[in-house]
Amino acid sequence: MNELIRQAIAAEAEERVDSRTVMANLHKARKRKPLGLIVGVATLTAAAAAAAVIIPATIKKTEAAPMAAQTTPAQSVLLLGTDDHNRADAIVLARFGEDGSVDALSLSRELTYQSTRLSQLESPAKVVEAVEKLTGTRADHHAVIKMADFGKISQAVGGVEVCLKSAANDPYSGANFLAGKHTLTGDQALAFLRQRLNLPRGDLDRIARHQAFLAGIAAKLTKDNAVALAREVSRSVQVDAGWDVLEFAQRFQGPVKIRTKTFESTAANPSGQAPESGAPESNKGPLGCVD
Amino acid sequence: MGFDQFVADRLDRLLGYATAITCDKHLAQDIVQNVLMRAQGKWERIGAMDAPYLYVKRMVTNDYLSWRHRRAAREIAVERGELARHVPSMADPADAHAEREAMRARIAILPRKQRAALVLRFYEDCSDAEIAQVLACTESTVRSQLSRALQTLRTHELARSATLGVHS
Repeated sequence: MNELIRQAIAAEAEERVDSRTVMANLHKARKRKPLGLIVGVATLTAAAAAAAVIIPATIKKTEAAPMAAQTTPAQSVLLLGTDDHNRADAIVLARFGEDGSVDALSLSRELTYQSTRLSQLESPAKVVEAVEKLTGTRADHHAVIKMADFGKISQAVGGVEVCLKSAANDPYSGANFLAGKHTLTGDQALAFLRQRLNLPRGDLDRIARHQAFLAGIAAKLTKDNAVALAREVSRSVQVDAGWDVLEFAQRFQGPVKIRTKTFESTAANPSGQAPESGAPESNKGPLGCVD
Repeated sequence: MGFDQFVADRLDRLLGYATAITCDKHLAQDIVQNVLMRAQGKWERIGAMDAPYLYVKRMVTNDYLSWRHRRAAREIAVERGELARHVPSMADPADAHAEREAMRARIAILPRKQRAALVLRFYEDCSDAEIAQVLACTESTVRSQLSRALQTLRTHELARSATLGVHS
């Protein structure tokens, strides 16, 4: 039996990643001060940098080790959640300030550029271009994540808690929830994110759901599941070629303030009902209820 | 030995070792990468040791055995456990590859420390004393960890042969 054990362990070890990849990562890291990161944070932040809304909370919960302070110029990053056909489903323009704060602006996919809706553009690259023109802001980088992967991500954190003001029923997305708190995983999470029928404010409510869901993920992050989440996210996220995400992740050195806002358009709000005004949405906290 | 030389010589082996104890190449990569970054900071001390590789291996092992990876390890074990349950019925008992895969799955669901001891013995060819150093325990603990692991694997092996015997 010992020979069999030897072979089995050797087979397991054969699965190892290419050492050249690790070598390259080490070389990159060397150019900076010793990182002193706690385990997992390097990958964690690298992966999560793309999902900007997740990062700040992650860093907060994992107590990133203090690093040599350095000022980094403000950068804009466009984050796209895509559907199964590579069309933009969720669009967030995030501004990472010099002081480490993050402003996340959600854009409705119903916005039109040259009489085409953002959700109808064929590739992420075209969405990037359209958003740049629409907002007059140049996106330094962009990251694309498949919405479908949020099901897996919700599972990695053991379910995401959200709260609904009223019952929801949408046969198209499969969303069928009673009012109140829910802990969502897998398909349920996707249905929640995808519901579009019977929403009083149409796409704006969908965006509110995305924001509530991300806040829900942030609330569930612990040191224990951060690594699992990072791995899940890193498999799902694609970033533009010129983006050194590891370096980018270093700008987060402690608790980060994040503010969310929604860029509205009449097309996104079919009922013409005024969206909530006054308190910014970030004040609702992770468990703020959505319509 | 300089840090660069150490990495050039040992990185691949270290990744193999970490992958074998974690049963997850991504987790293994995370751990090795982070450990090497930490080791680099105090290389003056580590490089001067008699056995830098053993020390770094100990860092990797401790890291995996620490509470930080408890959940990840449990998830992997559950996944592999599922797999193990399916392997015997699907595989041709005469197939050496299937035998090995079944064993691999059974090793993956051992307790973490027992698996680490097993890998140190059968992959790294360490003596009891060396394993004790890496796992930071006594040699008698090493022997008991190993014998418990082998006992479990043997029981499973017998159960498996019996099941296959009934079917064939």
